[in-house]
Amino acid sequence: MSKLVTLTIDDKQVTVPEGTVIVDAAKKVGIDIPVFCYHPKMEPVGMCRMCLVDVGRPVIDRATGQPVLEPDGSPKVQFGPKLETACTTLVSEGMVVVGMSEKVKAGRKDVLEFLLTSHPLDCPVCDKGGECPLQNLTMGFGPGESRFLYDEKMHLAKHVPLGDLIFLDRERCIQCGRCVRFQSEVVDDPVIGFYNRGRKLEIRTYSDPGFDSYFSGNTSDICPVGALTTVDFRFGARPWEMRTTASICTHCAVGCNLAFNVRREAKAGGDIVIKRAMPRQNEQVNELWICDKGRFGYHFAESGGASPLERLAQPLVRRGGELQPASWDEALRLAAEGLHQAGRELLALVGGRLSNEDLFNIQALAQGLGGKIGLDTYMAGGDLVSQVGLGQGSNLGDLGQGSAILVVACDLEEEAPIWWLRLKRAVERGASLIVANPRPTKLERYAAHILRYGYGSEAATVAALLDAIDGKQNAANSGIKAAAEAITGLGNLVVVYGSEGLGLQGSQALAQACANLLIATGHFGQPNNGLLAVWPHANDQGAWEMGLRPLPDLPAALQAAKALYVAASDPLGDDPALAEALRALPFVVVQDLFLTETARLANVVLPALPFTERDGSFTSGERRVQRYYPAVLARPDARPDYAISGEICKRAGVEAEISSAAGVFARLAEKVPAYQGLNYRMLAQTAEQWPIVGRPDVYYGGTAYENTQGLGVQVKPGAQDGPPPARGALGAAPALPLQAGERLAVPVTRLYDHGSTIAHTGLLHARTPAPYVALHPGELPASDGAEVQLSLGGQVFTVTLRLDEALPAGVVLVPRSLGLPLRGPQAVELKVK
Amino acid sequence: MFLIELARGMGTTLRMLFEKPVTIQYPEEKRPVHTRFKGRHSLHRYENGLEKCIGCALCAAACPADAIFVESSENTDEQRFSPGERYASTYEINFLRCIFCGYCEDACPTEAIVLGDNYELTFSDRREAIYGKDRLLVPVPPGGQPTPQQTEPGVFTRSIPVMENPKD
Amino acid sequence: MTDIKQYLLLRHRDIAGLDQLETYRQSGGFEAFQKAVTGMQPGQVTDVVKASGLRGRGGAGFPTGMKWSFIDNKNWPHYVVANADESEPGTFKDREIMTYNPFQFLEGLALCAYAVSAHEAYVYLRGEFWQVAAILDRCIAEMEAAGLLGDKLFGTDYSLRLHTHLGAGAYICGEETALLESMEGKLGQPRLRPPFPPSFGLYGKPTIVNNVETLTNLPLIIEKGAEWYRSYGTDRSPGVKIFSLSGCVNKPGNYELPLGTTFRELIYQHGGGLPEGRKIKSIMPAGASSSLIVATEEALDTAMDYESVPNVGAQLGSASVIVIDDSVNVAWLIHKTIEFFKHESCGKCTPCREGTYWMLHLTERIAGGHATSQDVELLHDVASQMKGKCFCALGEFSIEAVLSGIERFPQDFEHE
Repeated sequence: MSKLVTLTIDDKQVTVPEGTVIVDAAKKVGIDIPVFCYHPKMEPVGMCRMCLVDVGRPVIDRATGQPVLEPDGSPKVQFGPKLETACTTLVSEGMVVVGMSEKVKAGRKDVLEFLLTSHPLDCPVCDKGGECPLQNLTMGFGPGESRFLYDEKMHLAKHVPLGDLIFLDRERCIQCGRCVRFQSEVVDDPVIGFYNRGRKLEIRTYSDPGFDSYFSGNTSDICPVGALTTVDFRFGARPWEMRTTASICTHCAVGCNLAFNVRREAKAGGDIVIKRAMPRQNEQVNELWICDKGRFGYHFAESGGASPLERLAQPLVRRGGELQPASWDEALRLAAEGLHQAGRELLALVGGRLSNEDLFNIQALAQGLGGKIGLDTYMAGGDLVSQVGLGQGSNLGDLGQGSAILVVACDLEEEAPIWWLRLKRAVERGASLIVANPRPTKLERYAAHILRYGYGSEAATVAALLDAIDGKQNAANSGIKAAAEAITGLGNLVVVYGSEGLGLQGSQALAQACANLLIATGHFGQPNNGLLAVWPHANDQGAWEMGLRPLPDLPAALQAAKALYVAASDPLGDDPALAEALRALPFVVVQDLFLTETARLANVVLPALPFTERDGSFTSGERRVQRYYPAVLARPDARPDYAISGEICKRAGVEAEISSAAGVFARLAEKVPAYQGLNYRMLAQTAEQWPIVGRPDVYYGGTAYENTQGLGVQVKPGAQDGPPPARGALGAAPALPLQAGERLAVPVTRLYDHGSTIAHTGLLHARTPAPYVALHPGELPASDGAEVQLSLGGQVFTVTLRLDEALPAGVVLVPRSLGLPLRGPQAVELKVK
Repeated sequence: MFLIELARGMGTTLRMLFEKPVTIQYPEEKRPVHTRFKGRHSLHRYENGLEKCIGCALCAAACPADAIFVESSENTDEQRFSPGERYASTYEINFLRCIFCGYCEDACPTEAIVLGDNYELTFSDRREAIYGKDRLLVPVPPGGQPTPQQTEPGVFTRSIPVMENPKD
Repeated sequence: MTDIKQYLLLRHRDIAGLDQLETYRQSGGFEAFQKAVTGMQPGQVTDVVKASGLRGRGGAGFPTGMKWSFIDNKNWPHYVVANADESEPGTFKDREIMTYNPFQFLEGLALCAYAVSAHEAYVYLRGEFWQVAAILDRCIAEMEAAGLLGDKLFGTDYSLRLHTHLGAGAYICGEETALLESMEGKLGQPRLRPPFPPSFGLYGKPTIVNNVETLTNLPLIIEKGAEWYRSYGTDRSPGVKIFSLSGCVNKPGNYELPLGTTFRELIYQHGGGLPEGRKIKSIMPAGASSSLIVATEEALDTAMDYESVPNVGAQLGSASVIVIDDSVNVAWLIHKTIEFFKHESCGKCTPCREGTYWMLHLTERIAGGHATSQDVELLHDVASQMKGKCFCALGEFSIEAVLSGIERFPQDFEHE
C-alpha cells in the first residue's frame, strides 16, 4: 500500500497514491486537463506544454518545519513563478492546482496558437476530423483567428508511407513524440524516430520494410492529430457517421477486445460494412492495444469486392457428381440423413475458430448419434489447462515484483503478440522471466534466465527444472539451477507453453511437465498462478473446456469413419496427403465460410456466418469467456454454425437448442463444469477501468473505445475449488529415427501466414513470407535465398532457403500455414534445386 | 346610407378590373428569383474542370435533415477528380428530406455545393428524388476537361488550391 | 609554486609555451592536483571550492561547490563532464583557454573529478572544435605518459582517465542535459529536470557538468586557498572572469578582469572604445541570449557581476559582452539573434519550436522594411507568449533580446 496524498484541483479535493501525476489525479475527480504528449500508459515527458497549470504548494517555515498559516487558519499556499506541466509534476500533500484561471486558459490558448501556425488547413480531408484532440481543444481553448500569414507556413511532405500500413503526414505532425515513445517504451520496437531539429523535426522510419512492427497500428490511435493514419481506413468515413459494435478478435488465443465501426455504404450496394477495427479497452486482456493482425485482418469476413475468395452464398448438394445449389431444407435433410445413417461411425472434425455455442451443438450431434468428435489442432494439453490454468482473478497486468514467468517452446511475439507485450511490461515491473526455447526469440531480451535445449527435449527440460526445484541433483546444468533458484521463493508462477517445434504428442508431454511443475510448487488455483497455453485459434481453450480432444491419428480416424462432418476446418487444404482417405469416405458434410478443398469433395456444403455477422462467445487462453456481437447484417442465405448443426440435430432426432446463441449458452453453462452459473448477461457486465478512455476527452488515452458491452468473465480452473491435482506421467519421448539423407523438420509459427482467415487481407501480403525453410548455415551447400526442394510426407515443395546462424544445427525449421503440411516433428529430405 | 357603401364596394371592384394583375402565366412566364434564392443544389467545378468537392462530408454533418450522403475516395494523378488527395466518389442528396436551408452551402470549405435557382422539382418515385453526382455536377466549363482527368504529378497537391488570408 | 603575474586563467599571455607540459609543470602545474590526491579528502576539496565562492562561468552562475555537494553518494560510478560546447554567439573564451592553456583546464577537470570521486571524466566539445580536441588529446596523452593520469596516481588508490568527445554542431547541446543525451548517442534534446545531473546524469549516474572556465579556476584555488581567491572580484561574485568583448569596439577579444569591473572600463579602457564618430547605443552582456541594456552613463558605470547587472535589466550570463553602436538597427539585430535561435531550437517543446520560427518570419518582415506596426505588436506578443512556457533555457532566453529591443528601442521599429 503506497502512501496517499490529498490535494485540491480546481476546488475539488482528491486523494491519490504518492507518485501520481497531477493529470491523472485530476482525471480521477472528473477534471480533464488537456494534454497532447502525455499518455497514461507511457512515461511523461512534458514536451508539448499544453498541460501547463498553476501549482501552489503549502509554505513550510524553514526554521520550525511547520506549515505557515493565513490569518483565517488555512495553510498559506505559494504559487510558483511559472506555470508547471501537470503531466510531469507529482502530487504532494496540500498542493493546490488551478486549471481554470484566466492565466492558465491563456497559456493553453498560446500553446494552441503555436501549434496551429504551421498546421495545415486539412480538417476537411483529414481522417482524424471528428475524433481529433487538436480540433476539440482548439474549439475549447484555442484562438478563433490566425495571426500567422498563410504564405509563411512551413510546407512539408504529406502522405509519406511509413511502411505499407501507416501513412505519415509531416505537416500535420505536432511533434508530440507519442508514436516514437510508444514504439520504444511500450513495444520495444524503435523502428521510427525523430530526425533533424527545430521546426524541421520529423518522424522517420529506420527499418526495412518501413515501420516493421506488429503493433504499428496503435500509433494511429494515440496520435493526437491526423498525422498517422492507417492505409485500411484512409478516407473510409467520418467518425460520427459510423456505429460501433463490440467484438473479439479471432486470430489467436489472447482474445483482444475489438470495436468494429460500421456504416451503410453505397459503394457496397447499400450493405452495412465494417470500416475499421479499433481496440476496445479491457485492462485484463489487451489494455488499449491490438496487434496489426487483428486490426487489419478482419477482411476475411467480407466477400467479393476486395476479397479474392467468394464466401459461400448458399447450400450446395452433390448431384450427379457435381456440387449444385440447393435449398436449406434439402441440404439439411440430406446431411441429417447421411450422418444419422453413419451412426457410431460418424466422425465430426471441428476447428478452434468456432464459438462455444457452435462447438456445443456439434458435440451434441456427434454424441447424440454415438459417433466421435475431434478437434482439428496440432497443439494439446488443454485438459491440463482446464485443471491448473490461471486462477480466477488473474491479470497479466498485475504481475510484477514477486512473480516468476516461465515461457517454454514459444516464439511469443509471433504466436500471441499482445501476450508478448503484457509479459514484457510485467518484467519491467519486476517480474522474473525465464525463457526456454531451442532458438533465440524476441522475448529473450527481457529474460533473466535463458534455457536452451534441443528440439524434442521440451518436456525433459521442464522436468529437469522441477527436479532442480525439488532439490534433486541435476546434470551439471547451471542454467537450470539458476532458473530453479529464481522460481523458488517467488510468490507467483505463471507457466506459458507454445507450439515451437511441437506436434500433438510433444505438446501434451510438455503441458504435463508444466502442470507437474505448477502442482509440485503449489502454484495453482490462485490468481496470477497457473498454466497458460498459446493456442493457435481463438476458442481452442473453449473446445477443451467442453471435453473436445484432438484425434491422435487423423488419417486412421478418417479411414475408420463412414461419414465425416467438418466445421471450420480444412483437413485436405492443410494436408493434400489426406486426399485418398477423404475421397474414400462415403458421406462428407462441410460447414464453412468458403469453398475449401475439403468442401470440394463434400456431399453437402453448408454456408456458415463469420463472427462479424452473428453473436457468440469465445474462451480465451486465460480462460476468460467473452461475448462478441454482430457488427453487420448476416448474409441472407448463410446461418450461424450452432443453428446449422442444431437443425441437423433436430432432423437426425437429437435434441438441441437453436433459438439463439444466448439460448445455446444457457444450456452449455449447465453442462460444462467450468461455466456453471454463467450467462450472457454476466458476460456483458462492465466496470470502471483505469485509465479512463473513450469519453469526449480523446486527447487523454487516444481513440481506443470504451468498453460498454462486456468485460467477460474469467472462470475458475478445476483446481481452484476442487481437490488438489496430482502430477502425471510424461510418457516416453517419441522416437524419430532418421534414415540416411533425412533431416529433422520442426514446425514454427509466424504471425502473418496464409491461413484462411488472414490470407484475404491484401494489406498484409507484403509482410507475409513466401514459403521457406530455415537452416543453420553450412548444413546445405546453398546460400541464403536459394531455391531448395523439400520432400515432406510424399510430396515435394519448392521453397526458399533462409540461413540463420542463431538456429541449432541439424534441424530444418518449417513455418506453419504457408502451404507446407508439417503437423509435428517429422523426417524430411532437403535438396538444393 | 347603405347605397353609398354599396357604390364604394362596387367601385373598388370596378377599379380592380382595370388594374394590372399580379398573377403571371406560369409556366409560360416565370418570375425571376431573388439573388440568394435557395433552390436545387449543384456541385461546382473549377475552371479547369476539376470538381471542387473534396469529399469532406461537412455538408452531410451540417445538414439538419440528414439529406446528404457522402463517400470519399483517394485521387491519383492518373484518375483525378478534384485537387488534393480526396474526392467524393459518392455524393447523394435526398430532396424529399432536404429543407433547402443552405447549411450545407455554409459548411462547404471549397464552395463546391451551392444552392441554385431551380425550384421546379417533382418526382414520381422516391428513388428519383435521390440525386447523385451525375445529376448534381455542373457541366464542364469551357476550356476545362471532364473528370476523371489525367494530371501532372505534383501540380494539384492541395485540396484547397488558393488559400488566402481572410480579407474581412 | 605558481607565480601569478597578471593573469590567473589566460596565463599563456604571461608565460610563453604554457601549452607544453614541461613549461606548465615548471610554472607550478599539477602541484595542486598532486596535493589534493595525496593530501586531501575529496570532501575537503569541495569545501575549499565552496568557501572560495566560485560560481559557474558558463552562464548560469550557480555556486560550483554547492553543485558538487549535491552529487548522489549512493549511486555509483560518478562522472564529470566539462562543457566545452561554447556556442553562444559572442563567446570565445573557452577556446583560448583550451588552445593555449590546456593543462590548467585539464588539471581543473582532474581536481573536480577527484572531489566527486569520479574515475572517468569527459570533455564534450562542440563539433566544430576538432582542432581543439586534437590539442587536448595530445595533452591527455602526455599527462598519461607522465603518470598524471591512469591507475593509482601518485601512489594512491585513485585512478582517473580523461576523454574528449565531439558534438555535431548543435547549440542546444551546451544545455547540460542535452549534452548528456548527445554523449549517450541519442537525439540532443534536453531532459526533464528534476532529476538533475548530480542525481541522474550520464547513463543515469551522478554527473557533474561544469564549464571550461570554471574548471580552469580550480588549480589556483586549491593551491592558494579560498581566501586568496576571494581577494579578487566582489563579495558575492568573487574571482576573475574572462570577458569576451566583441561588436562595435576597436579592440575586440578576451579580457580577464576581476568580477565587478565596470562596463566602461572594459569597453573604453581595455577595448579601446568605439570606432571614430560612433556613439554607444546598447550592450548585450550575455551574447545573443541577452536583454539589450540601454547604454546610459549609469549603465556604463554598472559593475559586471552577477548581482549588479540585473539592476540595468539584463543578466551577466557568460559575460560575452557585445557592444552595439548607433549604426546598428535594433530590428536588424534581433532578426539576427532570432535567426540563430530558430536554427538551433531542438524542436522538443511547442513554444520554442513554433515561436522561434514565427518570430523569424516577423523579424524578417520588420527588418526588411515591409511590416506594419501591428507586426511589431505581434512580435512582442509572440515573444511574451513564449515566456515561462519553454522546456529549457534556449527558448526562454531567445525572447530576451526581442522583448527588450522592442520595449527599450521603439524608435528602431518605426518605419516610414
